Formats: sequence, structure tokens, C-alpha cells
Amino acid sequence: MLAAVAAAGVIGTLAACGGSAGGGGDDELTVWMLTLEGAQKEAMDTLVSDFEAANEGVTVNIEERSTDAHKDALRQVAGTDAGPDIYWYWEGPGLGGELVEAGLSKDLTAEYEQYGWADRFGEATLSNITRYGGYHGVPFTQQAEAIYYNKELFAQAGITAEPTTYEEFEAAAAKLAAAGITPITFGGTVNWHVMRLLDSLIETNCGSDTFDQLVTTETSWDTPCVDESFTQLKTWGDEYFNDGFQGVADAEAQQLFYTGDAAMAYEGTWFDSLTVDNGMDPANIGVFKFPTGTERLYGFGEGFYINAASDKPEDAAKFLDFVTSTEEQNKVVGAFSPISVNTEVPTATGNPLHELWPPLYDAASGFYLNNDQNLTLDQTTEYWRVMNSVLTGGLAPADAGAEFQAFVDSNA
Amino acid sequence: MTAVHHPPAQQAPPRRRSDRRLLQALPYLLPAVVLYLGFLVYPMVDAVRLSFFEWTGFRNDEPVFVGLDNYVRTFTNDPVFYRALTNSVIWVVLSLLIPMLLGLLLALALNRRMVGRNLFRSVFYIPAVFASITVAAMWRWIYNPNVGSLNQLLEAVGLASLQQEWLGNPQIALYSVFVASVWQGVGFSLVLFLAGLQQVPAELVDAARVDGANRWQVFKAVTVPALRPTTAVVTILTIINSLKVYDLVVGMTGGGPAQSTQVLALWSYQQSITNHDFGQGGAVATVLLVVSLCLVVPYLVRTLKAEEH
Repeated sequence: MLAAVAAAGVIGTLAACGGSAGGGGDDELTVWMLTLEGAQKEAMDTLVSDFEAANEGVTVNIEERSTDAHKDALRQVAGTDAGPDIYWYWEGPGLGGELVEAGLSKDLTAEYEQYGWADRFGEATLSNITRYGGYHGVPFTQQAEAIYYNKELFAQAGITAEPTTYEEFEAAAAKLAAAGITPITFGGTVNWHVMRLLDSLIETNCGSDTFDQLVTTETSWDTPCVDESFTQLKTWGDEYFNDGFQGVADAEAQQLFYTGDAAMAYEGTWFDSLTVDNGMDPANIGVFKFPTGTERLYGFGEGFYINAASDKPEDAAKFLDFVTSTEEQNKVVGAFSPISVNTEVPTATGNPLHELWPPLYDAASGFYLNNDQNLTLDQTTEYWRVMNSVLTGGLAPADAGAEFQAFVDSNA
Repeated sequence: MTAVHHPPAQQAPPRRRSDRRLLQALPYLLPAVVLYLGFLVYPMVDAVRLSFFEWTGFRNDEPVFVGLDNYVRTFTNDPVFYRALTNSVIWVVLSLLIPMLLGLLLALALNRRMVGRNLFRSVFYIPAVFASITVAAMWRWIYNPNVGSLNQLLEAVGLASLQQEWLGNPQIALYSVFVASVWQGVGFSLVLFLAGLQQVPAELVDAARVDGANRWQVFKAVTVPALRPTTAVVTILTIINSLKVYDLVVGMTGGGPAQSTQVLALWSYQQSITNHDFGQGGAVATVLLVVSLCLVVPYLVRTLKAEEH
């Protein structure tokens, strides 16, 4: 009852705001994306105003939401006419793939041919676009995630080099804790933040092949490498996370890094501009790959999708062609990611932190995705519950893998 | 002078009069009935219907009839359901004990002539007009482990040992959220009880006092019986509001940590909207509906019978 009322209410509200898919007037494009701040906001404003100037009479209406609200809003309008013309989303199967399967995304094969987009983007970037058959979405960023650290706090704790193995990484955390410094900061109320550490621990302990088999449930989670990962997670939660991490969100946790109250943060390329926007000196920040011991980098792609129900797909395609063009990407590269998805655009130079990423990308053989993009929705909910149960002491780490596998089996 | 005899006016039988009144009232009732059927009865019936189907909620996905499978899964395989059910029951019990009692005590205190009475009434009622999500945001900051005022206050008064991760500790998170609910909800009970106290016949109170009754005896023998209809209304509304608690939990913890603050209404929503499993969400919603009816209907029937007697 409540679910139906909630769904009806939200869809009704969204429909009232937007009318048919995209809504607005004949010449208005509606784009849904995450809340933008600082440099990212400026960059998107630049793209929109340039497009509007080049296409007289067409207006672009950007509607922003927080991460979870954005996911919920799109899931609620999928299959209805209440959605936007274009939506920004993560490309992995658990998120973008789910909406492709739900019929929200328009197959852009004809548009790829018309605009020559297949030549604009690299092979790795396109892999998440073509994996669902045809072409779904236009790549906008290829994000990687790594450990950002405060150089002064590392020096203060006597850490002289970036960790290159998991053992060195944990030893660095122990040194920081011993020096009275919070080693790493996470916000627990948004489950996907702490999940980054768990995902990387599983990649570390299980290796790439097993990781991929686990997330596709081809192999059982009731396995020693998973148990070991949960055991390490518990240690990190008890000894190295910020106090009260379970009661704060990601944005509050990030503040601890900005203010120098925590030495490390597990963030992605978007964090370059956030650290500077929040007053940090980029010269005092370093970035290193989570030392998994595998050659893969942790990360995911994000793209713009055209709503299959949009009544302005031509204008929408024109907009996506414009914002990913070489000329426009040259203007905004660095705001969303230091490396543009457009292969003709050089690495961003505006922020010293951008220069730290190309070596990490170059050294990587590929990406392992965040597990909320790998697992199905109900599996993700359970994955987070098991993760938090271990962290809060409600579940023994040694039982965590079996607990998750039991859920997978009973809901197969 | 000729007396004019009027035949006695023919009185319509009560049944026909009542039918006529109903016909006259119908045009006025109809809009409300249509809205009620469309926005309350239909979604309710549809959610129960959906609980017998497997459906993602997407238009291009046909619902598949699965009989009682969703209920079997809810009762045997859902790792969160019993936690949500227990929390909902705890919430109802605490709501019946704490905000109701506080509301009654405050109403008794503010039902006498005193300086600043209206100001106090307003102060206690104001939280009730705030949107729950605003209350949630406010209390989330109060409980913030790093900059929250509660932990800072405890430290300032030398009680640092009592500092807690108010929303991060699964043992106390539910009760932390409940405190915010009390702060927000006590004004509602206060207003209802205040209204009820206006109905207590002054002559009965005076008579009891003349008979030598002390304050407690007047309260017990006169005020409490006179407040019975109000108490029934407050009790029923409290039960209903407790069972459908949702927004405060979403705003403060999202059901976490580790689903420790999960409640039935939120779990139904998350199953349907977040997990896109409308069948499972419908099953949880139906359980919630049955629990609500089981708690409210017997109490309502008993109260109505008592009033008739």
C-alpha cells in the first residue's frame, strides 16, 4: 500500500513537473544529473550556455539531485513518460544496465553512425556502452578511484613512501593511528562509500578472476578470501576509520580530509576539484592506487543516456554531440575528470592533481567496478547489510561470506 | 369566529426521511468519496494484489502471478523483515507510553491560568508543524559525532563518558531517532488533550472538591473518565502514526546502520522503489496493513461499545 502510494505520489509529482518525457516546451531539453558544485557546476554551465548560443531558441534545463535521490528518481520514472530527455548515469550493469533493461535508454546506434561517435571515444570507454547490445549512452567520464592522502600528515606519522602493497598500506594506517591521526575517513550512512574499501579488499584477497566470478555469482561467496576481506574490513572499521563514521554521510566525512583531520580518503577523480574547491593546497595531496596487487584500477564510467520516451531525441543527440566535442571538452576537461573521454583532448592541466592520474591509468590493465554497479539491486542491499553488520559487530567476519551467499541462493 | 382546523402534518417515516437526507448529501460527499476511492482504497487494494505477483515496476515488464511466494519469502528468507517488524512494534509501544503521557502531563500543566500559558503552548506545539524531513536534518546535526551539539554539551558539563555515536551505534540508533519523534510529536497529543480538558464539566470538578476530593482523586474520578473519548482518539492516531513512521527514519539513518533502524513502512518502500521488487514490497505493506487493523480495530470497537453503554 505504502509502496504503491509512494510510487504514485512521486511519479505524479515528477510528471506534474515534467509533463511528458522531458517536459518543458518544444525547444526545451531536460537533463537529470547529480548535484554539481564549484568547478563542475561552472563547467556544466559553460557547456549549456555554449550549446544554447549555438542553437538559438533551444534551452537546456538541468535538474540536479543527490546521488541516492537521483537513482531513486530515475528508477521511479522508468517505463513512464515522466522522465527527462537526457539522464546522466553510471554505466555498470547494476545501475546503467538496469535502466537499459527497463527500457529507459534509447538505442543510439543510428546516432553513433550519424555523428561518428565510435571514433571519438576509446575502446575501453565504449565497452560499457556496447555491452548491452547496440549503443546505450554516450560516455562523459571514465572515473578511477584511488587513495588521496595528506602529505603533511603522512610525514608527521613517519611515513616516507606511498604504500605499494596491502601490508604497507595497513602499516601506514597503523602508524597514523599511533600518531593520533585519523587514518582514513568514510561516511557510513551512504553505504557505497565504505563499500569502496570492501570491494578493494576482495580484489586484493581474491584476485581479479575470482572477483569477477563473485560479482556474477558464478562462484560462492562462502570462500576464505571473502572471509579474510571482511576480517580486514572489521579491523579498518575498529581501528582506522573516523570516529562515528556510521552516523555521517560522505560529504561530512570528506570534510575531515579537507580540514586535515583525516589523513586519507578513498575517492575518485572528481575529488581533484573538490579538494581545491574546499581550500586544500594540491601540493599537499598525493594519490596512490589501492594496493590490491592486481593490475586493475578501481573505477567506472559515467555517461549521458537519451530517454527512449523523449519526444526530442534529435535535439538530445545534438546536445550530447556538442558536449563531448573536442572543442567543448577542451574547455571543461578536468572539472569532471582529468582525462577526457574524447581521445583527441589532452589531459587536464588546471589542477596539479590531474597530473597524478595518467600514470595510474597507463599502468592499469582495466577496471574493476564498484559492486553496487556489479550486483543486482537486492544483492546490493544485502551486501551493504552484511558489510555494516560486520562493521557494527552484529555478524562475525568469518560468517559474512556464507551469510551473503545464503541470500544469493535463496533469491536465485 | 370560525376556527380553522388544520389537519395534523403528515410526518414522513424515519426511513424515508433518512434516504432523502442521504440523497441530498450525496452531491456534497461525492468528490470526497471519489478522492478517497482513488487515492486510498485503490492503491491499498492494488498493493495487496501486487503482493501475489513478481513485478519490477517497469512498464515493459509484465507482472507474473506467483501466489503466496512473496509471503513465504518475506517470512522465511528476508533477513530484514523481522528486524523491521520488531522495530515497528517497539516504536508503537514507546509511542503509546512516552509522547502520550508527556502530552497529557503538559496539557494538565498548561490547562491552568498562568503567566505565559499561550507562549508555552505554542513552544510545545511548534515542532509538530515542522516537516519530518526538516526535523530529521536538525536532529542529525544534533547527533553528529564530530560537531553535534549533544556530544559537545555532554563534554561541556563533564559527562564526556556518556558521549555516543547516537546514530551510528545499532544498539541505540532506533531510540535516538525515537527521541526526535517525541520532540516532534508531543505537541500533537498536547493539543488533543488540551481540547479534551476543555470538555471536562466544571460543575463535576467543583462537586468533587465540595465532597472533599483532593487533586489526585479529582483527576482519577472526574478528569480521566471525561477524557476517555480524547484518549481513544489519541491512542488510535498514535498507533497509526507509529506504524507508518517512515520519513524521520529515512532522513536520519535510512534504516541503518546494518538495517538496525529499519521499520515496516520503510522496508516496504525500499523493496518496491529501491530494489524494484513490487511484489515483495506489496507483501510487506500487506503485513503492515494487517498489523495496523489488528491493533486499531479491536481497540476502536471496544471504545465505541464502552461509549454506547
